[in-house]
Amino acid sequence: MTTTIDYKDLAVRLQEQFGEGFTASTDCLEVPPNLVAKAAEYIKNMLDFNYFDMVTAADYPDRFELIYRLQSLSHNVLATFKVICSRENPSVPSLANLWLGASLQEREIYDLFGIEFSGHPNLKRIVLWDDFEGYPLRKDFKGKVYGTAN
Amino acid sequence: MDWSISPDWPGNFWLRLIIIAVILIAFVMSSVIMFIWMERRVIARIQSRLGPNRAGPFGLLQAFADTIKILTKEDIVPTLADKVLFWAAPAIAFVPTLMIMAVIPLMNGLQLADLNVGVLYIAAISAVSAIGIFLSGIAGNNKYSLVGAIREIAQLISFEIPMVLALAGLVIACGSMSLSKIVEAQSIPFILLQPLGFVIFMVAILAEINRTPFDLVEADSELTCGFNTEYSGMKFALLYLTEYSEAVVGSALITAFFLGAWRGPILPGILWFTIKMFAVFMFILWLRGTLPRLRIDQSMRLAWKGLLPLSMFNLFIVSLQTVFFPDLALWISIPAYIIISVIIIILWAMFMRKERQSSNA
Amino acid sequence: MEIDRILSAEIESRESAGIEALRAASQHPIPDPDGWLDEQIKRNMLFTTVDAALNWARKTSLWPVTAFTACCTFEFIGASSARFDIARFGMEVLRASPRQADLLVCAGTLTWKMAPQIKRLYDQMAEPKWVIAMGACAISGGIFCDSYSVVPGYNRIVPVDVYIPGCPPRPETLLAGIETLRHKIEKESISKPR
Repeated sequence: MTTTIDYKDLAVRLQEQFGEGFTASTDCLEVPPNLVAKAAEYIKNMLDFNYFDMVTAADYPDRFELIYRLQSLSHNVLATFKVICSRENPSVPSLANLWLGASLQEREIYDLFGIEFSGHPNLKRIVLWDDFEGYPLRKDFKGKVYGTAN
Repeated sequence: MDWSISPDWPGNFWLRLIIIAVILIAFVMSSVIMFIWMERRVIARIQSRLGPNRAGPFGLLQAFADTIKILTKEDIVPTLADKVLFWAAPAIAFVPTLMIMAVIPLMNGLQLADLNVGVLYIAAISAVSAIGIFLSGIAGNNKYSLVGAIREIAQLISFEIPMVLALAGLVIACGSMSLSKIVEAQSIPFILLQPLGFVIFMVAILAEINRTPFDLVEADSELTCGFNTEYSGMKFALLYLTEYSEAVVGSALITAFFLGAWRGPILPGILWFTIKMFAVFMFILWLRGTLPRLRIDQSMRLAWKGLLPLSMFNLFIVSLQTVFFPDLALWISIPAYIIISVIIIILWAMFMRKERQSSNA
Repeated sequence: MEIDRILSAEIESRESAGIEALRAASQHPIPDPDGWLDEQIKRNMLFTTVDAALNWARKTSLWPVTAFTACCTFEFIGASSARFDIARFGMEVLRASPRQADLLVCAGTLTWKMAPQIKRLYDQMAEPKWVIAMGACAISGGIFCDSYSVVPGYNRIVPVDVYIPGCPPRPETLLAGIETLRHKIEKESISKPR
């Protein structure tokens, strides 16, 4: 059965490698936005997390949270990571160059939440059309209401 | 009844021509209507549902409703289509099927033209119908129809050769290419005397008439109707008719060559012909209701690596039998040939499977 | 490759311009074709045998086009399976090409991104053609009617003949809707506008 990893241990190890900012809880590891690229590379190459399960975003009143789930198929391990970014000019390094599976999912998050992924090879809207204004899945999205003749 | 030319019939040649032409066209058209009904009902019963049963008793008028509806639809010609080809291609596809019916004897002498090169004529004309289908795929200026047309030509060419070689076995056994002589020589139907030839011819005819399992030309999920994507109205009615009249002609060819067309004890010849033709078509429908579709590369591999060598074996064995054992008693030759055919098919299938596994690994 | 990026950018900008134009043009629903209800015309016309024959043929052999969007499709598939057979009405011939089909069964939610394609499909169908709106999302947008991306009903894009409520409608309901469409086709005439 798929197990998870010990986040506190991983937080300590990453802190030794890269610096401060890693917070571990029982079910996820929070990564500071400036260390995302280095930590992701370490996790992929050293810990052998080769399968990018998903990335999704959550909209809180004061921040955006990006939730990553990565799997190591050879060791049968599933781990959850979080990155917190601000609501003004949200920007996070893209992981599409490490895991190809991140490419379309990051485009979807850019489309629906407006979070920029720097370094993404092809960041444009994917489920909505190019001229769409606004980011619908934000809680403060006020688009046109089409239920009535409008 | 003897349908040969009677010397005191006024305008004897032309009258016979016109009457038999009308009989043939009526036969083909009514068979097409019956086949459409049979197809819908029989395949529905195979899939454990009912077929059309609202349109007249037992749904017998369904084919008429389909025809009237198609004929009164708007006739759309795409702007960028090649107008002449678009108009001509369904006709080029349909007419050769009637031309093939001209040499098939429905009764003793009820044949529009008793050519003494009947088999050669059939092999030649059956290719023209596929040209019509290919042109209809090109003329619509649609990439899906083009791909369907390309697949059709590839499949046709691949299966034409085993079909003709299976017929060559028949010609060697009876010594004549004329259809009426082939039917006359069938005191025992050739399905028993040449079972391997029958199997090869049956599979090749299924591919020529684009029926399952070889109907990848019009595979819905892949090609949005293939070559007839851009057709509507009367031209589509002609292509729809072509599909079924090819089935009629294919079944008629199998009964003429292998089942002894009109030969039978009590009933008049044309009734036996109809019964045998419908039995062959029921078998074709059975295959349609049961088998999944082959991919284009699988069907071409079957033609070139499976059927072509088998048809050469068939030719070899028939030639051996004709030259060295012409008077072999039937109770020896029929079981012997059936056993030899089964052994050849099994050995060849095993050989091809081993070769494919070794080439995949 | 760079050329792929330029070409795809042009294609996508054209597509989104098309979607915005369609959205601006579909602010009001297209009126349902109800010319057959006009009592004035009915009193002056008699149903001829030609009309009767044509209407019988057209209603007995309605061929749907395989263009379904979302979950109501599975109820359509269930209706065409062994238990509730639509082949009894001659409808099992689903033609993939719109040029040979007469019936567009709008099964499923329509988004603005898909809407130009459904309009194109409807335009490619040969006359005479009918449209059935199946399910709540096809009638009015259903539970997604206020969404940023959902067309509130297929009748913004194509004129609809029969509305079948349900979410999803059971196969028996779909068959009742098809029966309603057959009654409607019976009453048409080649000399009346639809």
